[in-house]
Amino acid sequence: MIKIKNLKASIEDKAILKGINLEIPKGEIHVIMGRNGSGKSTLANVIAGNETYEVDGGSIAMNGNDITEMSIENRALQGLFLCFQYPVAIPGVSMAYFLRAALNAKNKHDGEEEMDAVKFLATAKKILSELGLDDSFLKRSINDGFSGGEKKKSEILQLLMLNPQLAVLDETDSGLDVDALRTVAKGVNEFKNDNNSVLIITHYQRLLEYIKPDVVHIMIDGKIVKSGDMTLVHEVEKNGYSWLVK
Amino acid sequence: MLKKIQKYSHSRFEEIGYPSKKLENWKFSSSKHLKKYLSNNSDDKDTSIDNHGDEYTLCFMNGEITLESLNKFIYKDDMTILDIDQLSDENICSTSSNFEKEALFHLGLSTIKSGKYFEFKKGSKFDTPIQILNFYSKKNEGLRISSFNIFKLNQGNNISIIEKDVNKGSSSFNLSLNKFICSENTILNHSMMYDDSTESNYLGYNYYELGRNVLLNIDSMNINSTFNKNFIEIDLNKEGSEVKINILNLARNQQHLDNNILMNHNAEHCISFQNVRNILKDRATCVFNGKVIVAAGAQQTDSNQSNKNLLLSQNATAHSNPQLEIYADDVKCGHGSTTGALDKDSIFYLRARGIKESDANNILVKAFAKEILQDFVNDDIRNLSENNLNHWIDG
Ligand SMILES: Nc1ncnc2c1ncn2[C@@H]1O[C@H](COP(=O)(O)OP(=O)(O)O)[C@@H](O)[C@H]1O
Ligand SMILES: [Mg+2]
Repeated sequence: MIKIKNLKASIEDKAILKGINLEIPKGEIHVIMGRNGSGKSTLANVIAGNETYEVDGGSIAMNGNDITEMSIENRALQGLFLCFQYPVAIPGVSMAYFLRAALNAKNKHDGEEEMDAVKFLATAKKILSELGLDDSFLKRSINDGFSGGEKKKSEILQLLMLNPQLAVLDETDSGLDVDALRTVAKGVNEFKNDNNSVLIITHYQRLLEYIKPDVVHIMIDGKIVKSGDMTLVHEVEKNGYSWLVK
Repeated sequence: MLKKIQKYSHSRFEEIGYPSKKLENWKFSSSKHLKKYLSNNSDDKDTSIDNHGDEYTLCFMNGEITLESLNKFIYKDDMTILDIDQLSDENICSTSSNFEKEALFHLGLSTIKSGKYFEFKKGSKFDTPIQILNFYSKKNEGLRISSFNIFKLNQGNNISIIEKDVNKGSSSFNLSLNKFICSENTILNHSMMYDDSTESNYLGYNYYELGRNVLLNIDSMNINSTFNKNFIEIDLNKEGSEVKINILNLARNQQHLDNNILMNHNAEHCISFQNVRNILKDRATCVFNGKVIVAAGAQQTDSNQSNKNLLLSQNATAHSNPQLEIYADDVKCGHGSTTGALDKDSIFYLRARGIKESDANNILVKAFAKEILQDFVNDDIRNLSENNLNHWIDG
């Protein structure tokens, strides 16, 4: 699904990613764990094409196509989806308008017909109720005045509506109470199937009680220093990260 | 009586002269280019207006009302319509102390050929808005066209006035003076829509005098004006009144848009909101001079003033000067001003969902404008404004 080779990136001349190698095959869930500031969000943003970061080397390929130089929107249209750690508020643009615009762009790219208003509403309402959100959510402006939980649920709503091939979840578990965490996890599990992939970025193991990863990576100072299975999560839980620093 | 007023205004203009950049309200807008326009002395009425609008429309041709539109005006029996010259009370024509200091206000007043006084009968309701169409003919190239109209609302009146310019290709200097007298328990919705594609200049002086329990909405949208400078002054003279101003300006090329708003809270328990947004492309400039003065004794005033400017080009310039002068202690007043480009994070967010960059930009521009347009009182005007906005963005 995605193959990242020796990826290096910086911001304001400060090197953050120092040679990331990561491959996520179709149908797998991977986790990246690491302390605050280790570069996890930077990796997520660079994968999504955020232009504030400078790519200094390496490559990102999706389904065999090099996307390193691709525009933000084309990556999304290739099936990439980033669940933002801090989704931005956009007053004046309703969730409904936004979701339709995004869906239309995707359908157009895929050569499919536009989803009609009735089907759109039915689909959206079903997902909203699963997430415990009111239908009126669609009328609200994007993330404007949303609580922490609503912001994360809104990201999951978009994930389920757009049904991408690869979802990168950046700290989607942070700041959620147990109920909201469960709801979000349920949404991710609903999304997951054999044909798509998920990359979970977190610095807790809370979410991993609900979503079972295939591979766990540990990121320290812009590099993946160790990969393994769930036992790695428990080791980190018990002993912290220090033992992993060479 | 008009002669007498005009004589005074003429001497005031001679005394003050064209405004210089030393004046606060003219610091960022040169009046130099306005000097070249000659007074419109010709008397021949241009009858080439093919469309006098419907029975709710009053047409003004080069600043003077057309008889055709007046004759078929549906509300004429619910009103008193007089020539300003016929008024016996000079005070009706008096203006704000600030316009009194404006040379070009006097220039306008001293050069009008006629003006109208519209008084709405007590208790009359006017369900359909009154439309005012200002026509400027091609013949007016290089001319200065002045107009002065007074509107008086009486108790119980609820009136919507929609003012539009229909410019037939003249590049004139349109100097428009208006006075609105809102007696107690009245509602006035005044919409000003300027969509000009000619090289004309607009300078407006709109003065509103409010009594007790008045509700005043001023909605304005301005596109494609080469030079558009509008003065709005409001006197809240009695308690219980509420004023809302929503203004959206769009400018490109070297266009200059300029709003000068003075809100005088002279009485207790009044509310005022000012919301002015400018969107600028290319080398366009805009000015916001907004001032709220809360007089001593105007307790329980609730006032807010907001100016936001969106710069879509690095060469566009916004000047913003929101001011508050408060002489009462028990008041709630806020003001704020922001100027900037489209938010990068917002663009990234939309694009990350597959939305094209140009579409993402347009969505954000519309969202910025929508926060003004959604508060427009009149549905038709709001829809028209949204269409105009879409055209402007695409064009
Ligand atoms: N926009 C930015 N401007 C400046 N420095 C940044 C920016 N974003 C991230 N950084 C820096 O990059 C490093 C990695 O940050 P980040 O990728 O957010 O880490 P994580 O998500 O693992 O907590 C930190 O030192 C952070 O200060
Ligand atoms: Mg992070």
